[in-house]
Amino acid sequence: MDRPALDSSFRDPSGFVFTRAGVLYRQVNRVFQQEFEAVAASGLYEELTRDGLLVPHRHVALDLAASPDAAAVLQPEPVRFISYPYEWSFGQLKDAALLTLEIQERALAKDLTLRDASAYNVQFEAGRPVFIDTLSFEPRKEGAPWVAYRQFCEHFLVPLALMSRVDMDLASLLRTHLDGVPLELGARLLRGRSWLRPGLLFHVQLHAMAQRRYRDRPPEPGLARRPVSAQTLRGLAQSLRSVVEGLTWDPGGTEWSDYSSDNNYTAEAAGSKRDLVAAMLRGRGACTVWDLGANTGEYSRAALAAAERVVAFDVDPAAVERNYRRVRAEGETAILPLRMDLTNPSPALGWAHRERLSLEQRGPADALLALALVHHLAIGHNLPLDRIASFLARLGRTLVIEFVPKSDSQVQRMLRSRPDIFPRYTREGFEAAFRTSFRIDAMTPVSGSERHMYLMTARSPGRASDVA
Amino acid sequence: MYLDPTTGSLVMQVIAAGAISALAMVGRVREAAKSIFQKAFRGRRWTGRR
Repeated sequence: MDRPALDSSFRDPSGFVFTRAGVLYRQVNRVFQQEFEAVAASGLYEELTRDGLLVPHRHVALDLAASPDAAAVLQPEPVRFISYPYEWSFGQLKDAALLTLEIQERALAKDLTLRDASAYNVQFEAGRPVFIDTLSFEPRKEGAPWVAYRQFCEHFLVPLALMSRVDMDLASLLRTHLDGVPLELGARLLRGRSWLRPGLLFHVQLHAMAQRRYRDRPPEPGLARRPVSAQTLRGLAQSLRSVVEGLTWDPGGTEWSDYSSDNNYTAEAAGSKRDLVAAMLRGRGACTVWDLGANTGEYSRAALAAAERVVAFDVDPAAVERNYRRVRAEGETAILPLRMDLTNPSPALGWAHRERLSLEQRGPADALLALALVHHLAIGHNLPLDRIASFLARLGRTLVIEFVPKSDSQVQRMLRSRPDIFPRYTREGFEAAFRTSFRIDAMTPVSGSERHMYLMTARSPGRASDVA
Repeated sequence: MYLDPTTGSLVMQVIAAGAISALAMVGRVREAAKSIFQKAFRGRRWTGRR
């Protein structure tokens, strides 16, 4: 029986990804058999997987194919949490870009080439970017240009340049432009900021001008016959590498970037909170924890005492960037920092709303951490407590949540400039609201503060209905 | 090939090819000039020692 491809795997006729009995497979179609065998014979797969640049795969029986036109079926090692470029920090997108270029350079050395350069071909696993699309390679045709050059610029170079040179918030363009930020839009937004940088001038401004000039025009005969040598392709990849490496961003000066060192916790309260996180999670058998509002990941690391891995979400790009830099610097493999605005979490996107999964579709997690978060949602964003509870119950089975009372200086600061329209924001009101979606298993004061930590279990994990 | 390479991107790669060839040519000329000067310099020193 035919197994349908995953909803994100349909553009490339060479093959697709599907699941059978919960196991992920990649089918190679007959139309791509010759190219696939040539790439396999080159030794590139072995080299890339040995160096941790490509997700390993193994060949499995053809009987497992999803359709009759299969030439081979592969079983790739699964990635534990799928994330998307619009959820990555600046450093994560930059590392993904450099990985793609390194792979292109290694492919060229074996007379192969990447036939696409989508940012969605990269995932983060064990703290590092890794390439996931085994079928992205093909033998290089003598004299042929790099077909993925524009795609690389639109998926990586333009967003990185905009984040680095204009404003970090332009990262959100990746969410509205799933096929990459168009060169012409990037060139307009960068304006004069790229004219003095030869790399950006060439790969963005002049590239955008060429796109405009030759739109809907086939190559002129003289141009089409002019070969692009392997040396040019290597030069192109090196030039892109040099431009990407030159793009930097200093993660400082945002509202939350210094929060872990600039807050009202005493050392005693912070230590008590770390201990409580580990103690509450212990015995829950939590494999994956989602830390919602993780900041730079201080408590994500505390959670690792009782969990295998943590996805550390935060809305602040600087906090996520710092967390990621720490992960890379210390070689941490169990923490995945991601950017996520919980008041507007990643929705289902793309063709038929099915190409990219919403945050909720990627859950439920075994456990959630929601520390120093609920007052920001309830008071900072006027979200009713029962709706917060209902959403969290859909995201995770176990919840470790901190209640921050109105008397806390952080809440006082939030109420300084606005009337207090939150009469239900009390510990009793919090407990009543959360009981609609959770069972409260334990409650402990955080010593050295007026805050309380709760351990809760979702009443219907992943299925709690919204409370009107 | 399932991606549209676009004519504009092809033009840029042809320009890059030209620039890389020109740079390679400049490098070769530079090496040749350096080699000529080195030979001339070594020749003068040898002559001087005699």
